[in-house]
Amino acid sequence: MAADFRKDTLANGLTILGEPNSANASAALGFFVRTGARDETAAEAGVSHFLEHMLFKGTPTRSAIDINLQLGNLGAQANAFTSEENTVYYSAIIPENFSAMQELLSDMMRPLLDPQEFDMEKKVILEEIALYQDRPHFYLFENAFKDFFGAHPAGNSVLGTHDSVSGISRDAMKSYFDRRYSPSNIVLAATGNFSWERFLKDAERLCGQWESFPVERPLVRFGGKHGAKTFRRKNLSHAHAVLVTTGASAQDEERYALSLLAAMLGDSTGSRMYWDLVDKGIADSASVDSDERDGTGCFSAYVSASPDRLEQAISIARDVLSTPLQFSDADLERAKSKIAARIVLDGELPMGRLMSLGMEWTYRNTSTPLAQVLAKVQRVSRRDIESALERFPLTDWSEYRLLPE
Amino acid sequence: MIHTCRLSNGLSVIVEEIGHVESAAYDLLVPGGLVCDPDSTIGSSLIYSELVGRGAGDLNSRALSEAFDDEGIRHGEWVGMDRFGFSGSLIASKLPKALELVSLMIQSPRLPEEEIENIQSVLLQDIAALNDNPARRAMVELNKRYYPNPFNRSSLGDAKGIRATDRDRMLELHRQVFGPERAILSIAGKVSAEQVMKEVERLFGGWSGPSVAIPEFGIVSPHEYVHIEVDSAQAQIVLASPSVKFGEEGYYSGKMAVSLLGSSMFGRLFMELREKRGLCYSVYARHGANTAYGTVSAYVGTTPERAQESLDLLVGELCRLKGSVTESELARAKTNMQAALVMGEESPGSRAASNATDWWLLGRVRTLKEINDAVSAVSVESVDAFIAGHPFTPCTILTLGRVPLEVSSSVITRRH
Repeated sequence: MAADFRKDTLANGLTILGEPNSANASAALGFFVRTGARDETAAEAGVSHFLEHMLFKGTPTRSAIDINLQLGNLGAQANAFTSEENTVYYSAIIPENFSAMQELLSDMMRPLLDPQEFDMEKKVILEEIALYQDRPHFYLFENAFKDFFGAHPAGNSVLGTHDSVSGISRDAMKSYFDRRYSPSNIVLAATGNFSWERFLKDAERLCGQWESFPVERPLVRFGGKHGAKTFRRKNLSHAHAVLVTTGASAQDEERYALSLLAAMLGDSTGSRMYWDLVDKGIADSASVDSDERDGTGCFSAYVSASPDRLEQAISIARDVLSTPLQFSDADLERAKSKIAARIVLDGELPMGRLMSLGMEWTYRNTSTPLAQVLAKVQRVSRRDIESALERFPLTDWSEYRLLPE
Repeated sequence: MIHTCRLSNGLSVIVEEIGHVESAAYDLLVPGGLVCDPDSTIGSSLIYSELVGRGAGDLNSRALSEAFDDEGIRHGEWVGMDRFGFSGSLIASKLPKALELVSLMIQSPRLPEEEIENIQSVLLQDIAALNDNPARRAMVELNKRYYPNPFNRSSLGDAKGIRATDRDRMLELHRQVFGPERAILSIAGKVSAEQVMKEVERLFGGWSGPSVAIPEFGIVSPHEYVHIEVDSAQAQIVLASPSVKFGEEGYYSGKMAVSLLGSSMFGRLFMELREKRGLCYSVYARHGANTAYGTVSAYVGTTPERAQESLDLLVGELCRLKGSVTESELARAKTNMQAALVMGEESPGSRAASNATDWWLLGRVRTLKEINDAVSAVSVESVDAFIAGHPFTPCTILTLGRVPLEVSSSVITRRH
């Protein structure tokens, strides 16, 4: 059953989106804040993510334990994530608890930032940083993107470092909050089985008094870089490589063509990288991704292999990437079928639909019905991919390796 | 609405019609898997589950892969300890094609010899890469010591067994394992049960072959503490102790007891270790059960200087649970379990999988009401009774990190 798209804006600039669908057994709702690692100064590295944790640690009317217990009492499947560009707080919820969840989540969006809780949560964040240090694949991606983007903020680390997080004060976090969490920089969205009228009315009551202020995010397109770096770690059993070049942004029309190209080159099944690398047993993993960001973007490939086969794997990956137009019409149609099925399947449940609704508004200030998205994918022709490659030639690759010491 | 039938060759078929979605999902389970691999070729079933997708009937490896992709069918062939699985999700109109391809893989896989070496190479790389993933490695090492043979095998297989696998072993596995007698095909989504049943009869009605017997589950070894020295940023702490089996008296109380401890943000472990003391990012307890055995396992990852305190608190919380459960925390755990059930009802993928698992374990599908009633019936007393019968200690503890920890002998030894 098709859901109706609804939209409103509160006087303070908070965007309210909804796709109510009474056929669903559950609902999902979330706040999408257009802020992340790229909006931090060097001294603040990691503050967006740290702040995301602090939203669960108390408000003027609720302690951290109150929040946890209430999430439990509501049977909410609630969580949050922070990326380079977004901080999202969301929950799946049964319909009878939707309004209570909206009230709780709205309250959490005005955190107390209690100094004791702040010190305690900092320890948790430092543990999270340590956890990722033990994941080599993550380590390589973080360092590769940092080097690739250089001074451009798109390469900022989401977690920050042990030192940067240790150095963040409660006041610095508060000033980041006061700079970024304006209602005009936030989208509140809901999908599934809920009442739009009540949702909107409650949003006005719960969020209408949030003070608005202007929020900036300079959008400079990253011009690219030709670099290479090898990172080494002790006791590493497996080797990894990432190749990166510039690609389409989240606003560029070429994103459809480049996504299809990425699927043909490096999807987990049936792609050229799969047949040339994984099927042949040379790499145990190979993928290609069109990573569309706000006003900029990159296109990347990843391979992992035993250290003695990594060079062979990189060389094969480079061969594939240097001949992006080597595909048949059937290959293109197949990639479209895959992507179309993914869009339908991901959009079917309230949570999946919530994420595309919130993200699309955050990046493009619009909402495209599912049928129209599918039509755009289906319309992509070889010629569209050729012209996307004229603008984004995918030739100047930076190359990063992670090898045992 | 759930429909079930059993074909004359023994294949059980479950179809759940879900009206308000556009998609469908399937799960086909066949008894077999890592516990059935001969000692000399442990991991051969992993090779098989890869090889089965590399060509079937008239389709070579590429043609089979393209046949799935042409229809946008997301599919996966996998193997666990005691079963092979063929799973997929798709736009509902593509179901007949998906079933046709699965029936080919089941009944006439090509099992091409030339692909075996490539698959071995990837699986051996996966085994090597385990060293780079301390959290996963800790669990594999714990299972190796905790479970009786052959249930203690690594889900990645063993390098020697993978190297020793040849095409004859693949053919033997196909002959010995791939029969319909105890297999289950579960489908859920926007489908007509009547049409699906006809389709399944046409495609799988002629399937024949023996079924393999799953080995008996032995006795869990005496509990111990093991430390593996690894130079990692965080110490990994894992433990396991025996629990109720699936469907046994006290099953729901056991599940609830573990949920009170550590299945989410309001569990005691999260509250005590992370919220109150900031000792870790990840901490949890889980309850796993099938008809042969049940296990409580718990995990915490933390930096070396805080590992001892974390372990002591983890064990302390397990020991403290009996006699201290409050009505309000029990009510909260119940609400969560029941809300998760409602939300799971919506997804064809989770319905197909859960119907298949129910049938696998019980020979029937539990209704939502049955599970809800059973969860509602759990009381503070029944949780205490569960813990009395299955105390969390003694348990097997494994740590992986820079330094070994102190473990009191009472935690790993049964007191008399």
